[in-house]
Amino acid sequence: MPAKLLLVEDDLSTANYIAKGLGEEGFTVDRADNGRDGLFLASDGSYDAVILDRMLPAMDGMAVLGALRAAAINTPVLILSAMGAPEDRIAGLNAGSDDYLVKPFAFGELLARVRLLVRKRGASPRTETTLACDDLHMDLLSRKVTRGGRPVELQPREFRLLEHLLRHADQVITRTMLLESVWDYHFDPGTNVIDVHVSRLRRKIDDGHPRPLLHTVRGAGYRLGPDR
Amino acid sequence: MQPAPVRWLRSTSVRFAALLFLMQIAISGSVLLFVLRAGDAQLERFRREWVTEIQFSLVDVQRRNGHDALVNEIADRLVDPGVAIILLADRRGQPIIGNLDAWPATLPQRSDWRVIDLYRSGSQTPKTVLLVTTLLPDGNWLLTGRVKGTGARVSAIYRQAIIIGALISVLVALASAWFLGRALSRQLDSVIETTEAVGDGSISPRVRLTGAGDAFDRLRASFNAMLDRIDQLVGELRLTSDGLAHDLKSPLTRLRATIDNARRATHDPVALAAFERIDGECDQLAGMLSTALLISRTIGGIGREQMEPTDVGVILAGIAELYGPLGEEALVDISWEAPAGLEARLNRPLIEQAIGNLVDNALRYATGATRIRLSARLEADRVLIAVADDGPGIPPERHADALRRFGRLDPARGGGGSGLGLPLVAAVARLHDGNLALEDNRPGLRALLSLPR
Repeated sequence: MPAKLLLVEDDLSTANYIAKGLGEEGFTVDRADNGRDGLFLASDGSYDAVILDRMLPAMDGMAVLGALRAAAINTPVLILSAMGAPEDRIAGLNAGSDDYLVKPFAFGELLARVRLLVRKRGASPRTETTLACDDLHMDLLSRKVTRGGRPVELQPREFRLLEHLLRHADQVITRTMLLESVWDYHFDPGTNVIDVHVSRLRRKIDDGHPRPLLHTVRGAGYRLGPDR
Repeated sequence: MQPAPVRWLRSTSVRFAALLFLMQIAISGSVLLFVLRAGDAQLERFRREWVTEIQFSLVDVQRRNGHDALVNEIADRLVDPGVAIILLADRRGQPIIGNLDAWPATLPQRSDWRVIDLYRSGSQTPKTVLLVTTLLPDGNWLLTGRVKGTGARVSAIYRQAIIIGALISVLVALASAWFLGRALSRQLDSVIETTEAVGDGSISPRVRLTGAGDAFDRLRASFNAMLDRIDQLVGELRLTSDGLAHDLKSPLTRLRATIDNARRATHDPVALAAFERIDGECDQLAGMLSTALLISRTIGGIGREQMEPTDVGVILAGIAELYGPLGEEALVDISWEAPAGLEARLNRPLIEQAIGNLVDNALRYATGATRIRLSARLEADRVLIAVADDGPGIPPERHADALRRFGRLDPARGGGGSGLGLPLVAAVARLHDGNLALEDNRPGLRALLSLPR
């Protein structure tokens, strides 16, 4: 069954673009063009995720989010906003949103984040002690990594980077997502900073193996997993 | 803000106080002069009355009881004459009885009130005497008078009173000058405090009005009105520029959408390469817009509330680690150094972005550099954070250009720089009540953030 999304966005052209793109990626998308209708639709809790613009007519996006959370509806919410200062992001996350994406965004960035939210909703919150992808194994307790049985030496940051990719194996993770969740930075470091970190990690886990696991997804980010 | 040294002679408060002081001295001086004059006149009148009393009683004795009774009366009085001067002389001026040996040579027989110096009988020192003469009905002349000398004691008391009075009025004038000066500066203190607060970037404070409706209150009211106007103008300006940057985001989002769609619709490698480049330009435009918005918000003081004690070393270590691999690719060693536990009140995300910008700048523009060094130290009560490279540096006369918004130094180098990196760092420094300076690292450039602790 395809995941069901609610898109609350008043800019018609942006809404069309998002809805079309997500539709092509196999999501079912319902739309609302103002906060009140958005809250009404989201209130039955049947959506897998809500994409909520922050500045909306009739009812502000933050108010919609507040009303949803007050009504104990815990559908994952991704806030889309033109306001990208650190305090705006913190305010959005404190109000109970699960992710915050600043306009203008690349569609790949939105897609990757929506997929993560939908997946998160399905995942059971068990604590794992080992992560694996193909013949790559990570032991979270002893902090050891092996590929095809051979140990791989990683720096602490590389370990966390790989852990994040393993936890979201087979999903596209963008550079910004990595920067936010692995480094906890919320600014654009300007150059291909993340690419260099990832290519170092790739050398350590993929060099000398016939099946590369860490892939660059053009125009979007990275994906850890066997070739599809 | 460091208050300027007070130049006393030019200080308006001091001038006001001095003027007040002089006026007070003038007023109390003229009052004292009047009292002195009036006192002297009163004394003179008293002396004349005193002499007149003797004169009348002697003339009365002569008129009622005759010449011999007068002589007896004068003799009685001369037993203990005190300050009295009495002389009875015949019509040719020969003395009959009295405490003067002779009729004074300079004195005509008929004379009204006169003051002359005389020797009394048996006295070696001359005395200043006030006297008057009377022609008696029997043709003799009566001279009556009074030594002025003892009156001088009274005027000495007056003088003492005047000196004490003058001293008191000097003290009162000094004290009131001081109070006036204080009152004047206190009237203006609230205005000064408000101005300083506004200078520090918050336009909201206003001067409290006293409701007195005086010139100072009107000054405060018009000052507030001016602040309201500035607030309104700045608000409008910010709204315009923020609105512009904000409104540019929507078409940019749509532009990206169009590129995305077009990219999926074609396999033409030339078109794909072009789309890739357009997408890159979109990225840069988006970055510039958000940085411009962030700068104007930071300059507006937004983000002050999110400051908390932060370990500076942890921040430097994080940034050095983030950029480290990129540096290694470019053969630049990125290292950091900070005393353990050095803390400052910081807005962490903004400071991280600022230091990140400085490192990014060094990697981007310090061609040929072999190392970038991040360091922090405590100097007096300020935390100094430096990002230094050993590249070609920037000539000192161009440092100001580098800090200007969109002030890129080398227009030929379009590559990536938004021209907003250093202005953002400077805005972040100002938000923290600090500043950003560029210095010569000999060789290379050192960007120095100086922040209060």
